[in-house]
Amino acid sequence: MKPTAVRGEWIAPASTTRKPAGEQATSKESFGKALTDALKDVNRLQIEADQAIRSLEVGKTGSLHEAMIALEKADISFRAMMQVRNKILDAYQEIMRMQV
Amino acid sequence: MDFFTSFKICGSGLEAQRAKMDVVVSNLANVNTTKTPEGGPYKRKVIVLTAEALEEGFESKLRDALKKVQVESVVEEQEGLRQVYDPNHPHANEQGFVAYPNVNVVSEMADMITANRAYEASVTAFDATKNMALKTLDIGK
Repeated sequence: MKPTAVRGEWIAPASTTRKPAGEQATSKESFGKALTDALKDVNRLQIEADQAIRSLEVGKTGSLHEAMIALEKADISFRAMMQVRNKILDAYQEIMRMQV
Repeated sequence: MDFFTSFKICGSGLEAQRAKMDVVVSNLANVNTTKTPEGGPYKRKVIVLTAEALEEGFESKLRDALKKVQVESVVEEQEGLRQVYDPNHPHANEQGFVAYPNVNVVSEMADMITANRAYEASVTAFDATKNMALKTLDIGK
């Protein structure tokens, strides 16, 4: 009984905000959008790291530590993205295993 | 990505210590320089650091608390020039004295070690933050 009570508490504030009818459809799509945005963000960090390394190699600007920090940022965001992917795949496989 | 805030602060620390290293190296290289484009001998440079607020991505409460370090300026120390009697030196004055820079090699070495250690501390902080982030990704594994 307890979990449902907690759920009820969490759901209640959202329903009181009275979203328009069309909102639900967009909120269903928004997961895909959020995923795409996250992917774009990861990609941006990868590109930034790439540029940092390139400018370091060319020797024009950029310091070593800035490049390393950019690399680490890209690394961490990529790993985070991989975790999200793993979770999604797990959920998908769980559903595929479902007996009908 | 909240961990990126720590990265930014670490980066400013690394930049500041690297700048300090530049100044120390400049002082050491010019330990015997008796003439500069501005006239007179080389004068010991000292780096001045200030704490700056991080500009973006923060809760308002944290905005004032977290500071990154920034190089404000590099100033010259005017006192303590060494006067050495050497009448044959081309930069000697009428009395035969040559003014040498006020650079003390020993204290510069101490400054160098300080900068090195502070840099290492920033790197260690960075690594620790990164490990925290990676540990976070292990949640639920």
